[in-house]
Amino acid sequence: MQEFLLILKGDGMNHLSPDELQNIMSDYKAWVDQLGDRYISGQRLDESGALIIDKKSGIITDGPFLESKEIIAGYFLIQAEDQEEANKMACSSPHLGLYSIEVRPISFPKMK
Amino acid sequence: MSGKSKQLVEHLFRTEYGKLVASLTRIFGTSHIQLAEDIVQETLISALNHWSVDMVPENPTGWLIQVAKRKALNQLKRDKMIQGHLKTMQLVNNASTEADPVFIHDEIEDSQLRMIFTCCHPSLTVESQIALTLKTLCGFGVREVANALLTNESTINKRLYRAKISIRESNLPYHIPHGKELNNRLESVCLTLYLIFNEGYNSTIGNSIIQKDLCLEAIRLAKLLANRFNKNYKLCALLALMCLHAARFDARIDNKGAIVLFEDQDRSLWNNDLINIGMWYLKLSINHETLSAFHIEANIAAQHCMAESFESTDWQSIYEQYELLEKIKPNPVIRLNLAIIQSKLKGIKSSLAMLDRLSNNKALRNYYLLPATQGIFHMKLANYADAITYFLQAKKLKPSLTEAKFIEDKLQACRDLLSSN
Repeated sequence: MQEFLLILKGDGMNHLSPDELQNIMSDYKAWVDQLGDRYISGQRLDESGALIIDKKSGIITDGPFLESKEIIAGYFLIQAEDQEEANKMACSSPHLGLYSIEVRPISFPKMK
Repeated sequence: MSGKSKQLVEHLFRTEYGKLVASLTRIFGTSHIQLAEDIVQETLISALNHWSVDMVPENPTGWLIQVAKRKALNQLKRDKMIQGHLKTMQLVNNASTEADPVFIHDEIEDSQLRMIFTCCHPSLTVESQIALTLKTLCGFGVREVANALLTNESTINKRLYRAKISIRESNLPYHIPHGKELNNRLESVCLTLYLIFNEGYNSTIGNSIIQKDLCLEAIRLAKLLANRFNKNYKLCALLALMCLHAARFDARIDNKGAIVLFEDQDRSLWNNDLINIGMWYLKLSINHETLSAFHIEANIAAQHCMAESFESTDWQSIYEQYELLEKIKPNPVIRLNLAIIQSKLKGIKSSLAMLDRLSNNKALRNYYLLPATQGIFHMKLANYADAITYFLQAKKLKPSLTEAKFIEDKLQACRDLLSSN
């Protein structure tokens, strides 16, 4: 087993109506349930925050990072056998379509 | 994780959206309706994410309020950091000490009333008023508003954008008008709600679920107003007329989505609760000073709802009320209605004569209901060939899909009857 970070990019949900948001909730629940103990954690990121490049220049921007399709909207930490299985899990996510998902293995595979 | 979790009330997100935006606008001011909307959107997305992993909380509304409030305060603190504004400081302080009362029930209702008066401010175009009301108060998405109003998203976006700019530029206060101003402003609110209701009620194009939601939302907002202003007779009459019409909503379309003519409607499908509420407000609307078009329309709707059957309807009285209505609000569609009711009083031939005269009226030239009605009357007289001519004419006037289907069915029926004779 290896841990993977699923990074969700885009601002897809900002354009959904309240009704649409409520209606996709069951898909989300079903996805999380289906992952079972493969799901470790997940969070949505607020649109505010700061961008700091080095000590000298200090805070470059403090958001909101609304402009970009590249904005990181949130992440999931999951575990999977290998990259291929992790990709499959990302593909089955209802987030796809609203966001692009980057599937990145955590560098050190868990030792068992 | 799943199983026993609480089910959300249908449209909870949509209703809460409107309430939260109205409440937050109280903190940020009318110039920042967009900011309030962004924060509420963000709150709903957070809810979606949390609730799909954890359980839906015992009190979802309370959860939403808490999160929205926290996000609003963060926003204010951030603004303070950027601008070092004294006024923002005061707002933060006020918001943190008064944060709770801002969201209690009465306050939420009060905020919504302020938002109604803001959205329906006479300085905005009627189109903008309608779009803004549906978006911010009713919680429809831009696409849903566009669908409901039979236009496209970019048109709606433009209307919303212009409305918000105009509100900001004229620095509209976020308040409930009083004194002499109140009646005028209520008048303009009533008109906008009436138009929203009609968009939903009279259109058979588009998605019938959204259309029905439009009607129910217009009723919800009118009720909110009537709770506060129950001495405003016009408002009560408007509410009565909307309830009494909406009561018949489900009977107008059969289970295949086809139009059911009024005379063929199954009256057991009429919604008695709405009829009762409508009658109650009709009673409240009666007074010695005002007799508005809303009053007469409500009266007509009430008479239909109270009649045991189509046959036992008091057509004479309905005819007289339409005549009165036409005096207050001259309108060729009302004359069309008068002509139709004439068939109940003096027979179909006399009614057809009136309809023929109306067909010269410019305003009705592209109105498919006129030839469609002529077609139906000729069909009743067994003049199938004439009926076909009128139905074909109606078909050319670009009716909606549902309407076109209705006409097509009648055409087929006429052709079958012709060939069997």
